[in-house]
Amino acid sequence: MTAAKIIANEIKGYHRFVQFLIVLVAVGALASLARFVFGLGVTTNLNDTFPWGLWISFDVVTAVPLAAGAFTLGAIVHCFHIKKLEPLVRPAIVTGFLGYSLVSVGLLLDLGQPQRCWHTMVYWNPHSPMFEVSMCIMAYTTVLFLEFLSPVCEKFGYHVPLRLLRTIEMPLVVAAASISTLHQSSLGTFFLIAVDKLHSLWYNPLLPLLFWISAMCAGISIIIVEATMSHKYMGQPDEGELLETLAKILPWVITVYLTVKFFSLFALTQGPLFNRPGLLVLFIVEVAVGMILPLVMLMSRKVREDNRLRATAAWLVIAGIILNRFNVSMFGMEAPGTFYYPSFIESLVTIGIIAAHILFFVLIAKYFPIFEHHPETVDYSIPDHFHKTEKGHAHGAAKA
Amino acid sequence: MSSENQDFNKTKAFLIDMTKCTGCRGCQVACKQWNQLGAEKTEFFTGEGYQNPPLMSEYTFTRIKFRDYEKNGQNEFAFYKEMCMHCNEPACASVCPVGAFKKTKEGPVTYDAERCIGCRFCMVACPFGVPKYEWSKALPLVRKCTGCYSRVKEGLKPACATTCVSAITYGNREDMIKEANKRIAARPEKYLKKLYGSEEAGGTSVIYLTALPFDELGFKPVTKRPLPSYTWQALRLVPGIFLTVGGSLSLLSWFNHRKERIAKEEEQRKSGATPKEES
Ligand code: SF4
Ligand code: SF4
Ligand code: SF4
Repeated sequence: MTAAKIIANEIKGYHRFVQFLIVLVAVGALASLARFVFGLGVTTNLNDTFPWGLWISFDVVTAVPLAAGAFTLGAIVHCFHIKKLEPLVRPAIVTGFLGYSLVSVGLLLDLGQPQRCWHTMVYWNPHSPMFEVSMCIMAYTTVLFLEFLSPVCEKFGYHVPLRLLRTIEMPLVVAAASISTLHQSSLGTFFLIAVDKLHSLWYNPLLPLLFWISAMCAGISIIIVEATMSHKYMGQPDEGELLETLAKILPWVITVYLTVKFFSLFALTQGPLFNRPGLLVLFIVEVAVGMILPLVMLMSRKVREDNRLRATAAWLVIAGIILNRFNVSMFGMEAPGTFYYPSFIESLVTIGIIAAHILFFVLIAKYFPIFEHHPETVDYSIPDHFHKTEKGHAHGAAKA
Repeated sequence: MSSENQDFNKTKAFLIDMTKCTGCRGCQVACKQWNQLGAEKTEFFTGEGYQNPPLMSEYTFTRIKFRDYEKNGQNEFAFYKEMCMHCNEPACASVCPVGAFKKTKEGPVTYDAERCIGCRFCMVACPFGVPKYEWSKALPLVRKCTGCYSRVKEGLKPACATTCVSAITYGNREDMIKEANKRIAARPEKYLKKLYGSEEAGGTSVIYLTALPFDELGFKPVTKRPLPSYTWQALRLVPGIFLTVGGSLSLLSWFNHRKERIAKEEEQRKSGATPKEES
């Protein structure tokens, strides 16, 4: 059989949903090809009034916090040393890596001169939040890639690089958390320049801090949802007990977020809050449905212990954060009487990117050991003088 | 970026006295000619009034806005020349990741098309909605009034200021503000007692004098604080935050792992086994 045939046969064996995802990704790829051939002006609904649209709002500003699971969990597990959560780390890293790679794709698509993207590395302007975010995303994608190499090396039995990766694992986790803190918050800094454009329901000097805290909420919620779904649909082990621990941490983070949010809203905001009924509704939905409701839900033990209810609460948080990012980067920026909606091609590309994320996750989980969290079963036949691969240690935790 | 200790009094500035503008749009034409800008196919009444074209665009760096209003039962026109304000501390320059925008020491804010990566952050950041995009092209760039920097640095006046017979004066910013205040003092019944541009966005190189309230002419209310300071107050914390988060997480994990490591070593010493043999 030729390689093409093997691949074709392999794909035929996939679940129908996965095949559907492949079609969506292909359509998205065609749509982005159209964007490069015909240009932004023809293929998108962007114009001088709305220079940023769906791609910035969703593919960048929203996708970045949704990929925050890796840094949140990495910090919780390795730095605070809550080891029982470790089985969740690898799926989170894979999600994070995929998320950031696709953010980079989204950014590239949105640039008017994508072939010049290397300019950001040559012409520095440290006063620009965009400069900072692009630097961080490049650095962080590299870190995630290195972290992601572990399961790949395991799969192919490359022991030497694996040992190396384990040695730098802790520094990587710390670097990941610090870099994430910076760019998650800097996405909020983007909008600090829009002094007279962003509505005061969202505009306040603490926007970067709020972006950072809500990214942590998103990160934890994504892990809960992801683990629940891969248990349900992919036959992975039930991590219910571990998720309960996360569901205990989450309400605390939400509480901190809401405290800062209301403090900044009432103490630091200048300008009218109630002059745009439409925006007010969006704000109330975002806070009430996306934050307060899941907070109340997660305070009950019954919800935390029930797989379905717990995932529902996590979904609500995710929805709240998606709405928040759209409110800040799109709805809240629109001047009264103006309206932007994404074009057909813009939407296809975004759908393709989401589909690609799920597809790659499913495929990686299929071919690489990201759910099997017992690397000590692998034989690292190199003398271990530094106690790097002691028995009983799941992939290299507990080293300082 | 503008240097922090630049003396903006000595930069060049426009004084645009709209009570003297006749709406001839000579500046609009001169700008197109000097900058070799293409024509735009337009229709009347696509915008809010008689102005044409309806908006600034990749082909139109400046434009006269028309406002009709009633004065003593008579229909009157007010005019407003729209263009880049050449801010003292430009938001566009501060947000551009590759530093394509620059405040020159002569005054104009220039744009380096060779650097631009087309992220359009400048368009989002500019409080006056000035930078426009080449939506017609496959690899578009940003377009805006250049302040005729190529002329100004040779000691000439911008094309629009050269063409205008009465409404545009060009000179040192300090002198322009003095002149404006002199005109207000001489004819207090004619002018509104406010200069638009003296403080807006931290001060601009375009100063307007009008007879009508600024908001009626479509001037945007803009903060008095230089815009770059809004983002800088967060961005300047970046190195500190990086070190604090990185440092405290490292310490935290070192402490948390230490106890366990000690226990492990203790155990190994007792059993006398090495991990190699165990595995
Ligand atoms: S008006 Fe806008 S484009 Fe012109 S210098 Fe100021 S910020 Fe930049
Ligand atoms: S579009 Fe170009 S000039 Fe504007 S901020 Fe981006 S890189 Fe800079
Ligand atoms: S300064 Fe030059 S580029 Fe700017 S509006 Fe006047 S003529 Fe046009």
